[in-house]
Amino acid sequence: MKKINLKINGSEYSLEIDENMRLIDLIRDVVGLTGTKEGCGEGECGACTVIMGGVTVNSCMVLAFQANGKEILTIEGVKGKGNDKLHPIQKAFLEEGAVQCGFCIPGMVLSAKALLDENNTPSREEIREGISGNLCRCTGYNKIVDAIEKAAYYLVKEAEDNEI
Amino acid sequence: MKFKTVGHSEVRVDAMAKVIGEATYPEDFYMKDMLWGKTLRSTKAHAHVNLDTQDAEKMEGVIKVFTYRDVPDNHHGVVLKDHEVFCSKKVRRIGDPLAFVVAISNKIAEKALKTIKVEYNEIPAIFDPVEAMMKDAPLVHENHKSNIIFHYKLRRGNIEEAFKKCAVIIEKQYKCGMVDHGFLQPEAGLAYMDGDTVVVCAATQYPHFDQLEVAEALHISQEKVRIINPAVGGAFGGREDITMQVHLALATKVLGRPIKTVYSREESFLAHSKRHPMVMTYKTGADANGKLLAMEAELVGDTGAYASWAINVMRKAGVHATGPYEIPNVKVDSYAVYTNNPFAGAMRGFGATQVPIAHEQQMDMIAEELDIDPITIRLINGFTLGSTTATGQVLSDSVPLKECIEAVENSLGIKNHYEEKMEELAMEAGVGI
Repeated sequence: MKKINLKINGSEYSLEIDENMRLIDLIRDVVGLTGTKEGCGEGECGACTVIMGGVTVNSCMVLAFQANGKEILTIEGVKGKGNDKLHPIQKAFLEEGAVQCGFCIPGMVLSAKALLDENNTPSREEIREGISGNLCRCTGYNKIVDAIEKAAYYLVKEAEDNEI
Repeated sequence: MKFKTVGHSEVRVDAMAKVIGEATYPEDFYMKDMLWGKTLRSTKAHAHVNLDTQDAEKMEGVIKVFTYRDVPDNHHGVVLKDHEVFCSKKVRRIGDPLAFVVAISNKIAEKALKTIKVEYNEIPAIFDPVEAMMKDAPLVHENHKSNIIFHYKLRRGNIEEAFKKCAVIIEKQYKCGMVDHGFLQPEAGLAYMDGDTVVVCAATQYPHFDQLEVAEALHISQEKVRIINPAVGGAFGGREDITMQVHLALATKVLGRPIKTVYSREESFLAHSKRHPMVMTYKTGADANGKLLAMEAELVGDTGAYASWAINVMRKAGVHATGPYEIPNVKVDSYAVYTNNPFAGAMRGFGATQVPIAHEQQMDMIAEELDIDPITIRLINGFTLGSTTATGQVLSDSVPLKECIEAVENSLGIKNHYEEKMEELAMEAGVGI
């Protein structure tokens, strides 16, 4: 057993865990945040993507103790409090019809967020590159790319409005 | 006419829950006092089996090991009841379920699986569907006299006479392989008792069918089985057969506690159906102007160890064998055949997906022989309003095939300049008709 401290979606956790526990199991089974999905368990599909210390990781490929002292963002932490506080990425995914079965969506939204946090005017090619670690079997990706493009526009507009 | 919904973009009812991470797929359910189940699966394609589960049963934390002996009616299957819930005497494919270990944790269940001794006595297996049709082929199911479980015949006109009048005849064989749906959410489920009702929560394409199959296998009335279908993480046909539903229902009914199971990606590949691999032998003939006169096709669909939807799939392949073309003389024989391969069932297109590989290649080769471009040959023969299909259906409305081909032709700018233009386009990107 090992004791670790970490922050998930802004909340502090101090947990006793097995050394061989994966981060995804900590997130889902210990903390109870089931929005993070496991599609392959070997880092291929990206459904378990979370943002750790500002970069995306496959939480099935990270051991939980490696998150000690880190700050983690899961899908549950992306939107603000209340249903009307959707993140622009989530709003754009809804509007563009980018969601079908939805199993890839938590990972897609987080990969999109990591991309847009770095680059708020990505080209379509950069968007495709940004989600290249996330598999989707339903949409054919086009609507997801459309949604991220729209989200970038919303974010730029939001930043401009805030300046005024 | 104005509609409230048709013609407008609507946000899916479940999209909000999905973008905020609140949609619940079967693996997202947790219950108090929940036990974990793991399935033991065959590692041989065709073998008589004997199981020794004693060590697993003695293991600390293991509650029970279920085998065929525990199933009241050890059968299931959507069209033919040819699956056993757990194999009793022999396995027919790699991945056949043999036992279901229930333990207090997933880890213990996993460990216990490894202690089950399986004695395999291998028997000759058959992996080629064409060989499987032969008289002396090993039988996958002894209660069927042949591995051929379905033969669809389509006859129209007189092909022998028509082939005599053809200026060109193309005879070729086409094979296509097995495809997995690769839906993103591996199978998972949770079952529990609500009074004397068995509740199974699993992602499925057929809750009412699952209810019937669970009730039959457990020998209880359908009213005592409730199937809950939460969010489904993709399916594409791959969730049209039972996987763990009966295992979970049986375990919760016997033990009275909630049981959960979650498949790994690897187990998911073993557990569900595949798209039918097909061997398609075609003979197609046309007159000197490119008008199709006759077509003969034999389709052999490899349904693997179980029928699943093979009958419906191979019938549909047979019906669609001509492609969207009017051919006055047609003979099609379509077969579904057992082998010891992974079982094949429903997948996007349901048999209509494989045959275009063959019929469209035939069209291209006929066009090439007659020095007609690939678009013209399709416009000459394509279905249009009033066409009669090989099965005798008169197409009375909505047949936009020719408009579609012409729209492609116009947008590529290849009308009357097919060869030069296509060569030019191919320099930029892959292009083909």
